[in-house]
Amino acid sequence: MPELVEIDNYTWQYLNTDRPALQDITLTLKEGSFVGVIGPNGSGKTSLAYSIDGLIPGQYHGIKQGAVKILGREVETYPRGELQRQVGVVFSDPESQFTAMTVEDELVFGMENLGMSIPEIRERLEWVLDLTDLGPLLNKPPYEISGGQKQRVALAAVLAMTPKVTILDEPTSMLDPMSRRRVFDVLARLKSEQKNTIIVIEHSLENLIPLADRMILLSEGQIALDDETEAFFQNIDLLLEKGISPPGAMRFFHELSRAGFYQGGFPLTVEEGYNKIKKLLQGDQA
Amino acid sequence: MNKTLLGYVPNESPIYAIHPFVKLFFLLVVSLFPLFVSAPEWNILLILIIFALMWYSRVNMKTVRIYIPVAISMGTIILLSYTVLGGIHPEYQLLFRIVGVHIYWERVRDAVVVYFRILPMIMTMVFFLTTSRERDLIVAMCSIRAPFVVTYVFAMALRSAGMVLEDFQIVRQAEQARGFDSAGKSLIYKIRKYVMYMIPLFALSLRRSEEFTNALVARGYAFTGEASRVKRANYILTHYHFSTVDIILTAIIGLSFVVLLVLRYGFNYFSLEDSWIMDWLRQILS
Amino acid sequence: MNTNEAFIQVRNLSFSYQDGTQALSEINLEIVKGEFIALIGQNGSGKTTLSKCLNGLFKPTRGDVIVDGLNSKTTSIVQMVRRVGYVFQNPDHQLFNSNCWDEIAYGPRNILLPEDEVKVRVQEAASVVGLPENDFTEHPFFLTKGLRQRVAIASILALRPQVIIVDEPTTGQDTRQSYEIMDFLKDLNEEHGHTVIIITHDMPIVAQYARRVIVMGMGSVMADGPTAEVFKQTDVLAQTFLEPPQITQLAQLASGLGFNPGTLTVEEMVGQFLALKQDSPVNNGCL
Repeated sequence: MPELVEIDNYTWQYLNTDRPALQDITLTLKEGSFVGVIGPNGSGKTSLAYSIDGLIPGQYHGIKQGAVKILGREVETYPRGELQRQVGVVFSDPESQFTAMTVEDELVFGMENLGMSIPEIRERLEWVLDLTDLGPLLNKPPYEISGGQKQRVALAAVLAMTPKVTILDEPTSMLDPMSRRRVFDVLARLKSEQKNTIIVIEHSLENLIPLADRMILLSEGQIALDDETEAFFQNIDLLLEKGISPPGAMRFFHELSRAGFYQGGFPLTVEEGYNKIKKLLQGDQA
Repeated sequence: MNKTLLGYVPNESPIYAIHPFVKLFFLLVVSLFPLFVSAPEWNILLILIIFALMWYSRVNMKTVRIYIPVAISMGTIILLSYTVLGGIHPEYQLLFRIVGVHIYWERVRDAVVVYFRILPMIMTMVFFLTTSRERDLIVAMCSIRAPFVVTYVFAMALRSAGMVLEDFQIVRQAEQARGFDSAGKSLIYKIRKYVMYMIPLFALSLRRSEEFTNALVARGYAFTGEASRVKRANYILTHYHFSTVDIILTAIIGLSFVVLLVLRYGFNYFSLEDSWIMDWLRQILS
Repeated sequence: MNTNEAFIQVRNLSFSYQDGTQALSEINLEIVKGEFIALIGQNGSGKTTLSKCLNGLFKPTRGDVIVDGLNSKTTSIVQMVRRVGYVFQNPDHQLFNSNCWDEIAYGPRNILLPEDEVKVRVQEAASVVGLPENDFTEHPFFLTKGLRQRVAIASILALRPQVIIVDEPTTGQDTRQSYEIMDFLKDLNEEHGHTVIIITHDMPIVAQYARRVIVMGMGSVMADGPTAEVFKQTDVLAQTFLEPPQITQLAQLASGLGFNPGTLTVEEMVGQFLALKQDSPVNNGCL
């Protein structure tokens, strides 16, 4: 049984650049995992996302080495329109990825492109509306809804195509905190309800960490760290060195640990952090 | 209030009950009427009918007022080019001579005829645009089985126009924030400075188009090849049904056209010889 | 001139757009020279509208905005922008010249400064933002996003405004880039004496750099004060769909244990922990 996503010694260099955007990337993703990909700007995160979706090398010129396989087949071997049944991408700019004139048309566009029938479309539409709570916005044109709402529409539109893998490339970077939270709420629901495989590229670690099972750190086109979330964040020194700033609670415990006051895993949420502080200060009375 | 392509129409307008196909049919057929009508009074009647329809549809008539200066300047240009630039024609009836330019009756007559042909054609277009939302245009084109690509390009043109307008506002403010003040400057100056709006708009569009293309590909849209020949479900059409009223209206429009042709070619109606406006005009000018 | 006198006074400011939507109602504010302010609030709360009223792009529908003694209603925009500069979020909205030098010179030339003065200003602004000299002839379109943003800031600095308003300086930037731009703004504030106002959602950045926070919600000012004080008002923040940075949240959760609910940084938190540890019944904290 082939892995869902299998990347083998993959190197990609855009035309007219002096170093590869991605270098010797090897990783496998199993079905059902929720993976977070982080790294400074320019480290190759978006290139990685595009490579899994076939946008690289489909839409971009450059030199490719190695293999990117979805369900055992290399991305280039998929005929046009086929790969998108397996891999969906949500981009970071809510405006430019809105391809239709109303929310409903946007949700349905991908499904129509795949040749789904009207009953199928109707069914998927209902599911996706329920998941993302977009019902009241169905007839609205893009200029009447907010950026956060547009991103939820984008996510819904991609999910409606029932991809096996959904990649979100910095979906909340242009959104305000509430909209950000709502997008992650949808992701949380997805995670708990379905066996989707989700890859999220983000700078906003606070929201990502509680959901991700596995985290990958990209730096200068290479994988610098790849581990299950809790173990991943034990390496805070490496993260700080590579330009990642973990959330406040985590950094606090990291400082405590450096000063010798704490040993153990770093908290993934504020609540966890509080419980640990309580224990530290009150000992076993807690 | 709902925003249409060129204006605003309140929610209670009767125009929403009409299938978009009928509106498109009206536009395509009725805008042909003036071509077969020479006598201006009939074309003026058509203009009045269209105004009445706009009023009935509760279109905000203030938006129509914008076109009055356009109509006047257009009329002036037509008159001038037919008369002043008309040349010397000894076989025509000379009305006056101004500064060496010969003003002939025939030329004036032709100008008037052309002007009152163009006006209703434009008015039908304005009527269509002020009563149709973007979605109506798409539905209308779908219902006449226009190729999907054509419909989609139209839709995207509309979408881009909206985004460009938004961008334009921001660019204007950004230039003002750097001390650019066009108040009280000449028109030539303003036109010369237009380059500074064009370049940012162009740059923004360029960046967006890359993202937009990626979004299209990610939604499974194929421009060519096997996947582009997929049978589209056209889900949008499931919301629109042809009612009896639509059928009757379509029939009326079609029949009117047939009647017009019969009257014109069978009974020689709408001709210039019977036109009392032209007689009256000729009398005044001679 | 009394340095404590407000450089910007906003009195009963209300603003409505042409289509009737009211964006601001009855805003009252004073801004003194040298402040470092963060303007926060959900999208649509009026942050951008307020900023544009401050630099004269928008004229108040009611009320007054007085900058350096000049009332924005009766002052030309050229005079206003020399005092309050506004850097738009997306540099692509303003860059159009074919090289960076002309781009930065655009502002000074607009206000009709003599060319040798323009030259001085451009060089000054470029060095403050750290734009290397060999980039002067580059076309802005081909620079990286970070550099483009700096050119945009430089082009505003060249007007030498006392107040600089930067719209979303850290959106889309990674950690290192965010700190770079914020340190640069801090430098502008502390070394060069500019008043800096940032519009942002980035709460950890606000905690670390802003000394005063103005919270906006639905067109009014909901809170206005020193950063730590504002972050304590979590109910007010929640109304405009914001919450304090994670470290502050942690301190607030743990306030029952003795932590200050206005804690802003990890360092402060650690310091408090160590102090509490001394007093706690459990010494020797290794678990």
